[in-house]
Amino acid sequence: MLSTGFKLWFGLFVAAVMAAVLAGYTSGATETGPISVGWKGGVGNHVSYVIILSAAAGLALVGLVALAFRDADAEAQAEVLGLEEAPEAQAVVGNSLWPIFGALGIGALAVGLVVHPAIFVTGLCILVAVGVEWTMTNWSEKVSGDAEANAAARENLMRPIEIPVLGTIGIGVLVLAVSRVLLASSVNGAVVVATVAGLLVFGGAMAISKRPEMPRRAIRSILFVGCVAVLLAGILSAVNGEREFHQIGGGTSDDDAQVETDH
Amino acid sequence: MTTTDSDASGTAVEEAITSTDPVTLSKVWGMGGMTAVLVGLVAGLLVSLERLDLEGAGIFGSGDELFQFWSAHRVALVLLGVLPILVALGTTIVPRQCGANTLLFPRAAALACWTWLIGAGMTVVGFLVDGGLGTPDGGGQRQATALTLMGLLLVIGGLMVATMCILSTILSGRAAGMGLGDIPYLSWTTLIAGTIWLGMLPVLAANAVLAYVDLRGRPAVRFGAEDAIWEQLSWVFTHPAIYLLALPVLGIALDVISSATGSEPANRGVLLVATAAFGFLSFGAYAQSFFDTPGTPIMEETIYVLAAFAIVPVAFVVLGGVLDLLRRGGSDLGSKPPASVVLSLIAILLIVAGTVLGALRVVAPWDLLETSVTGAHFTLVVGAAVIGAVAGLNHWGEDLLGSPGFPGLMLLGGLAASLGVVLISAADVVSGFLGQADFTGVDLATAGYPDSGTGALNAVSTVGAAAFLVAGLIWMVAGIRHLAVDSAGAG
Repeated sequence: MLSTGFKLWFGLFVAAVMAAVLAGYTSGATETGPISVGWKGGVGNHVSYVIILSAAAGLALVGLVALAFRDADAEAQAEVLGLEEAPEAQAVVGNSLWPIFGALGIGALAVGLVVHPAIFVTGLCILVAVGVEWTMTNWSEKVSGDAEANAAARENLMRPIEIPVLGTIGIGVLVLAVSRVLLASSVNGAVVVATVAGLLVFGGAMAISKRPEMPRRAIRSILFVGCVAVLLAGILSAVNGEREFHQIGGGTSDDDAQVETDH
Repeated sequence: MTTTDSDASGTAVEEAITSTDPVTLSKVWGMGGMTAVLVGLVAGLLVSLERLDLEGAGIFGSGDELFQFWSAHRVALVLLGVLPILVALGTTIVPRQCGANTLLFPRAAALACWTWLIGAGMTVVGFLVDGGLGTPDGGGQRQATALTLMGLLLVIGGLMVATMCILSTILSGRAAGMGLGDIPYLSWTTLIAGTIWLGMLPVLAANAVLAYVDLRGRPAVRFGAEDAIWEQLSWVFTHPAIYLLALPVLGIALDVISSATGSEPANRGVLLVATAAFGFLSFGAYAQSFFDTPGTPIMEETIYVLAAFAIVPVAFVVLGGVLDLLRRGGSDLGSKPPASVVLSLIAILLIVAGTVLGALRVVAPWDLLETSVTGAHFTLVVGAAVIGAVAGLNHWGEDLLGSPGFPGLMLLGGLAASLGVVLISAADVVSGFLGQADFTGVDLATAGYPDSGTGALNAVSTVGAAAFLVAGLIWMVAGIRHLAVDSAGAG
């Protein structure tokens, strides 16, 4: 028996083929071109003919797949699996960071193509990392039927890799961002910035240590906001540029001394 | 340092950005889409105001700037506005209609959602920094134009992946005993529309890639030329592709009215075939005037004209189904029918009017293809899609958020939008017959039509654009208040 899906998509396929032939013959096709896909004669307007015929091919494929799998009806799935009743098509999954990081990677890739290769490479690195993490998450979810055991299996495998790698990257990025801020500041300003930043970090850590009852998510939020602030300051400083450095002696020798001046 | 472990859950922001729950994703799609609709309406109003006095050029400094806002209006409404709102409904309502426990590939759906959002942001930024999708006089910034194209590609990618998730759910996630022919109308029309989107969006992406590759580096050869980019992409904002936005709205209207009247359409089979035919006739990737070969332009070829006329009776068949539902169950609606029913009915009527205008537009002797009749046609169909999508959000809002929301505000906004759409369309149709161009020209000083009598009509159209914008603001307020009530309830 022909399934509803097959009737829909195969019907659309037939209509698309007829439309392609009509489009061909009414736009200057010759001989049997539109019927023979251009084998004998011209097909008329190439663009419209090719696009409609390609769509027809896609529709025919989907129609045949629908027929072969009986529209993926629950009964057909159960039969293939040898079960009385088909299981849920999709297990409910928990929250995940990888989709948003994946999107950020794709976004960086796209912006990098337009703006700067460094951003493109950063996007590529993010995508590779997300690909690995996402793959491992999916693998761990199939280890057993116990969600906690699966999570533990994933952590056992990935934590020894994630913590050092992310720690190194995090420290590197923060050092780079802070260095941009200090280089963009005036000579005395850099000292003030470093002192204030140090006091803030030290004071904040002291304040948190005095309040052991503080919820974890509040601490996470403080750290998140702090990191974002440092990153933004670093990016803005990088865009603004470093303060001017003048070489004494005008040469390129390593012996030449540097003199820093404010903007 | 000791901290309490009692509150191990993430913050609200963490929850929002890491969630794979279809309801959360649909809030992002829906609010993002409504914001884009507002942006599009603001751009439309500015263009409309400028059209009142082109010689004065009081708002935009050049024809290129006017064009950027004019094209931004269309991009924002279609790719950043209406389509995402329909995806929002598809993400949450369709799985429930099919009896699925959730959306299939929820993480891919989340990836699609965020990719679309980032792409939408890039597209808007691209337009704002003097980019956009090309300009007739080549006055835009190449870098910004490239950014807009990349943003558009991300938007297309996000929409495609989201569509695949929804279609997979309809196909593989149905409850036992529910055949593909038994699914509710919204799911059915989403299935067809999704199939056609997946056929058209890659073509649009190919157009964008072609333009981008040629735009970068050395001077553009052809596809990336500033004055050629829009023409390659414009097919998605006009007949017949534009009808695809209306297809899920047909399903929304049938489901909403069927639910409100408590009756089923007597001719379900006919309606299923009619909506499938509507989808087929909406396939518009072939109608690319940029690639016209010597001879007949595509917009004057038989296939294009035939599709424009063939879709009219199909739309009337669906209207017949809706009227049949109202005839048999209308008495149950009482003197104050629900807002969703009123808005659905308005949307259907506007769609039918849009198909009729689309047929008139291609009548060769009237020579209307390049006139503001094309803009009127766009406004009718897209306006209908916006109103219909809002009807759907209103109808299923309680299922999604647990409270009925603000149907009064939704209705008020819907009536303002309907007034706006009718005023814009009516004025632009008459102006089009008087010879006013769809886009009013590169040279602002000579682009006015002081003797054509369209000045008063443009004023009417501007009032309509303002009414439509007011409607968008009302809907936004209603949506934000609804979400706030939901958040308070959850808290």
